[in-house]
Amino acid sequence: MTAAAEPVVSVSGVSKRYGATLALDDVTLDARPGEVVGLIGTNGAGKSTLIKVLSGVTRPSAGTIHLAGTRAEPAGPLEAQAAGVQTVHQNIDDGVVFGTTVAENLLLDSFGRRHSGWFTTRARIRARAAEVARAVRLDLPLDAPVETLPASARQQIVIARALSRRARLLILDEPTSTLSAVEADALMARVREAAAGGVAVLYVSHRLAEIEDLCDRVVVLRDGRVRRIFTAPLDRAAIVEAMLGEVGHVSAAGRETAPGGRGRPVLEAEGVRTTAGGRPFGLVVREGEVLGVTGLVGSGKTELLEQLGGARPLVSGELRVDGRPYRPGHPRAAIAAGVAFAAEERSAQAIVPGWSIRAHVTLPWLRAHSRAGLLSRGSETDSARRVVDLFGVRGAGRAASPDAAIETLSGGNQQKVVVGRWLETSPRVLLLDEPFRGVDVGARADIGRVVREHAAGMAVVVASSDPQEIVELADRVLVLHEGAPTGELPVADVTAERLAALMSGGTDGDPPPHDPGDGTDPRRGAATEQGGER
Amino acid sequence: MTTTREETAGPPGTAAPVRRAVAETAATVAYRYGLVVVLVVMLVVFAALRPAFATYGNALIVLQSVAVVGVVALGVTVSMTTGGFDLSAGACVGTVVMVTALTMVRFNLTGATAILFGLLTGLLVAGVNVLLTVVARVPDLVATLGTMFLFQGLALIATSGQSVSAGMTIDGAPAPGRYTEGFTWLGGGTIASVPVPVVVFAVLAAAVYVFLNHTRWGRALYAIGGNAEAARLAGIRVGRYRALAYAVSGVCAAVAGILLSARLGRGDVGAGDPYLLQSVAAALIGFAVLGANRPNAVGTVVGALFIGVMINGLTMLNAPYYAQTFVQGALLVGSLVVSYALTPGRRERKIR
Repeated sequence: MTAAAEPVVSVSGVSKRYGATLALDDVTLDARPGEVVGLIGTNGAGKSTLIKVLSGVTRPSAGTIHLAGTRAEPAGPLEAQAAGVQTVHQNIDDGVVFGTTVAENLLLDSFGRRHSGWFTTRARIRARAAEVARAVRLDLPLDAPVETLPASARQQIVIARALSRRARLLILDEPTSTLSAVEADALMARVREAAAGGVAVLYVSHRLAEIEDLCDRVVVLRDGRVRRIFTAPLDRAAIVEAMLGEVGHVSAAGRETAPGGRGRPVLEAEGVRTTAGGRPFGLVVREGEVLGVTGLVGSGKTELLEQLGGARPLVSGELRVDGRPYRPGHPRAAIAAGVAFAAEERSAQAIVPGWSIRAHVTLPWLRAHSRAGLLSRGSETDSARRVVDLFGVRGAGRAASPDAAIETLSGGNQQKVVVGRWLETSPRVLLLDEPFRGVDVGARADIGRVVREHAAGMAVVVASSDPQEIVELADRVLVLHEGAPTGELPVADVTAERLAALMSGGTDGDPPPHDPGDGTDPRRGAATEQGGER
Repeated sequence: MTTTREETAGPPGTAAPVRRAVAETAATVAYRYGLVVVLVVMLVVFAALRPAFATYGNALIVLQSVAVVGVVALGVTVSMTTGGFDLSAGACVGTVVMVTALTMVRFNLTGATAILFGLLTGLLVAGVNVLLTVVARVPDLVATLGTMFLFQGLALIATSGQSVSAGMTIDGAPAPGRYTEGFTWLGGGTIASVPVPVVVFAVLAAAVYVFLNHTRWGRALYAIGGNAEAARLAGIRVGRYRALAYAVSGVCAAVAGILLSARLGRGDVGAGDPYLLQSVAAALIGFAVLGANRPNAVGTVVGALFIGVMINGLTMLNAPYYAQTFVQGALLVGSLVVSYALTPGRRERKIR
């Protein structure tokens, strides 16, 4: 084999275990100089863990990584950088220092290095920064303060710095998530340039169009395993299907099948948009119905639910609850109108550190537990106990005490509390954003059971990027793609292919033919690639 | 310290796990009750060394000396519950002292009017704090620091840097008014042998305790301090409650200013200055009381008493007065270590 075709990085049999969960399971992949490899998967598929392992942030539990043919075991991010693995993280502003100039940011790494001299002068910094900028063809005013530059320019600085550190492998983690379309195009050109210069690029993104445009190969991760490796030309729908996996059907037993039009409409929306530039659409959720909303990351599920729940201002359109106009300016107004919203991030958006189960349950309804201005502990405890009983909240091996601090519960039991509290005053509309994230199977079943039991008297909207969760809970599935609906399916008609087609932006009526020859089986693919190395 | 030695000494030859369990329990006990135990020990030691310390009369003197600080500290405590920090409390006390003095001495108005103007001044200070922190979104610490300077300066301008007292000359003529008797009663009077400021402190302490621990408003304030986004999504109007916290803080500082003005009987420039640091110290010491690890009314009262007892006792032991600040500093540092370093489960929490 010639030196040019030798992989820059080859990962073989890498696993990473965090406690009881296997975040990476026997992952094998490689990247050659000049190649752009896409890495794609749903949340929790193991992308972040793989990036961490490659960039030296964490060590694999098993398996090996070779960089340019030599075994690499970086003890930390700095060693990985020295070995040529340069990572550009999703949050651009983690990579630049505000209050300093472009030139200073380009040279940031050198300031911490020994033998870089005691004194810095503007002229010396400028001269050295100009060299760096020339080498990576960065065209920005060197004396401009970084905070005056747009996000895309700040990202260029971060990438330039990464490339200037003798990059062999450039890892870009969702680089376009905060960029506009034009800026994203400019970034792609830059990535192609870097690849043309002999750098291997690992490109992580949820935007299928970019992946399709840019990548020579696409590695699909699901549940910590490499499911398939596709080579260009790429088939979007097949990629999404590989990401999602099988969608098993739940038996209809124990759930009322609610054909559309049975109950009266509870939540109606007209002309709403997920983002300011998005296409307006409408939706109706009837009494007794669970509407599932699914789509890839960034498809606008959270934006939609937050608007419905009063957590962010309505971009456009009109909402009605039970036929009455509803325009919440604050979550409080939503609660008053009978709309309950359990947000996506449990620890950031629902948990108050150190508080008991009781205090969490009653927080949205404190007025109902006040007697002559004073909180009634008895009333609060009753309420918390109802949630504990209803959902089977368990702590320390038995039914949790309402006094238990919520941090002492497992993630699943915490979720029971933060979902359960919204049922306490029988809302008209229940909005659940990713209710099963970080929730174990048992708790997931408990929450699903209770929500279905209570759905009879209200309208429920559940958002999840995992179609399996949606199929378990919903009567009807609305699929979003890049901010707007691409289709709607009754749950009985849901198949992995149809969902994948809709989630990747296709239409339901014309599902792209599924061609198994398009991608390769991961094991076979990895084996052949490694065979080439021998 | 004798108390810590008792807690850590285990019987010799105990198995290691048992010893570790004992040590853990000891740490928890130290964390929950350490400060209360130290306070009791201090009372016993002072009483043993100086019999005059353990008298009803001296107890009233201690209470009287902490009443003003305590009232300010209760307000600071409320401002801290939402994650804020009212650094303008001391300046507010000083400004209220000047406002009440000017009202009676310069403008010859009644004591009741002086109280009303004093309370309004407290609300004005709170209003500026709210404008800065809630409306303009300036970080609490720097915003209230700015307010502090503003009102210290205003008090100086209003009085041309002079003290305000009866008989002072204004524009060549003697000032028309003087402190009314009713007003000075607030500082020097007694109710059933208990000084009025002590009664006011006790009533306010009880009120703040009930407000923070047993009303939905207090619960909402703590929710905001714990996780503002979770509070917002649970339907709590965060901005309004943060404004409420500053208003309570401003009113408490105003009450303290009224009490101080009544005791001094004159408007001294800079009278309120020492009260900021002492009240903040009392509130922070309060974090360590009964393992609360958050601002709380009971802790603040204990913290204020702690400072008062220590200063009073040391004075009786003829310790030099100029050592007081250092002793307060040591006390504050010690209790900060208790509330931050001894928190049970602190390590686990760091791992997320």
